[in-house]
Amino acid sequence: MEAVVVDYGSKLLKAGIASPDQDPPYIIPTKMKRVLEEGEEAGGDGTGNDEEVMVDTVVRGFVSDWDAMEDLLHHVLYTNIGWEIGDEGQILFTEPLFTPKYLREQLVQLMFETFNVSGFYASEQAVLSLYAVGRISGCTIDIGHGKIDVAPVCEGAVHHIASKRFETGGVDLTNLLAQELQKSNPSVNIDISDVEKFKELYAKCASDQIEFEKMQNSYLPEQHTLPDGQVITIGKERYIVGEALFQPQILGLEEYGIVEQLVSSVSNVASEYHRQLLENTMLCGGTAAMTGFEKRFQSEANVSASAIRPALVKPPEYMPENLARNSAWMGGAILAKVVFPQNQHVTKGEYDETGPAIVHKKCF
Amino acid sequence: MSWQTYVDEHLMCDIDGQHLTAAAILGQDGSVWAQSAAFPQFKPDEIAAIVKDFDEPGSLAPTGLFLGGTKYMVIQGEPGAVIRGKKGAGGVCVKKTNQALVLGVYEEPMTPGQCNMVVERLGDYLYEQGL
Repeated sequence: MEAVVVDYGSKLLKAGIASPDQDPPYIIPTKMKRVLEEGEEAGGDGTGNDEEVMVDTVVRGFVSDWDAMEDLLHHVLYTNIGWEIGDEGQILFTEPLFTPKYLREQLVQLMFETFNVSGFYASEQAVLSLYAVGRISGCTIDIGHGKIDVAPVCEGAVHHIASKRFETGGVDLTNLLAQELQKSNPSVNIDISDVEKFKELYAKCASDQIEFEKMQNSYLPEQHTLPDGQVITIGKERYIVGEALFQPQILGLEEYGIVEQLVSSVSNVASEYHRQLLENTMLCGGTAAMTGFEKRFQSEANVSASAIRPALVKPPEYMPENLARNSAWMGGAILAKVVFPQNQHVTKGEYDETGPAIVHKKCF
Repeated sequence: MSWQTYVDEHLMCDIDGQHLTAAAILGQDGSVWAQSAAFPQFKPDEIAAIVKDFDEPGSLAPTGLFLGGTKYMVIQGEPGAVIRGKKGAGGVCVKKTNQALVLGVYEEPMTPGQCNMVVERLGDYLYEQGL
């Protein structure tokens, strides 16, 4: 039976049977609604429906609500993918950087004890994204919904000392866009999920800082009609989303822009690897698929202070478009084809013998 | 049981038809308690660097882990307990016990997971014995 690969993110869960050169079959949001039982109280805001509570299963890349995660996985595995109770197969999970040990152990425990899988493996998203473009060494910049990971990877192993993780992501950019839209459209009441859609439709990256400044002063507004009939104008706000990644002061953070972060991260690795890492840089994650982001990144990289110019990796032709969004899942599919047949994964027998701590020994 | 027997029978044992290339149990001062035949000739400062990394995790990563002149790239270990190094398809695993260091060197086709199991299992056992 083919292995299943699951890549859970703060916004979307990508899952499906491992098929390396295709998009993940199932892409489902991880935000869930919990219908309350009798006698339970709704959450503190009092504005929403009294019977439903929105639950964020995955926050900043890590699972925060295990019951919701269990239900979500149950739905995906049994209903969507078609596993049968009693005949579960092997599963491979992706993990963000710096996943705490107890979270990994909890996931292993959930899979073996509740779902009774026959084999388990977990690997970091940075490594998997590089596998998807056919590399084992390089630097990944994963800009997701809940976090940004900058990770140098050498021969399939992440250099943890040199890696960086930022607790900023698509969700903060959405909030920023909402604030800006509210400022230019004070009379309109905009729902955050609509802002999320706008961000994906309209957000662009200016081609450099000077152009961004120009845009701030003279912009071409576009009219957009919200589902409830209200009309808002979007103009310079669309550029601010992309700019925030290169100038984090816009978000109120005292950090360097993303290109400098990459260079400083690589400088913490032994110098003989620098060339290999910088010349094989990969952008992945939903937010990195923004229009104009790659071009801007490349142009900022060309003027960066590093002696070696960072260069972006070109994905192989047989890979589908939108590789950046789903690269971790696809890399997982590639890895699954190798790990499970060679028995490098954690089997049920080993789990029973050693317990959840086995994941630290076997999966890295 | 002598230390040499620990090395020969427990560290160099067969696991799924594979075994470690070399293994040793060393004191934390660099003294050899036992080693397998193929264990590389190491220098005292290499061992000192390993011990220092157990005390200050992250000190070995920028330069790399050296053992017998061979350079290993430091990968994810467990701070204060396990240091893992990688070189191509092979690597090394070092587990710290109370008074000793258990080392295992592996190469293809043995996997890092198998090396870790062997080394850490013996290390945990010695730890429980107070060694």
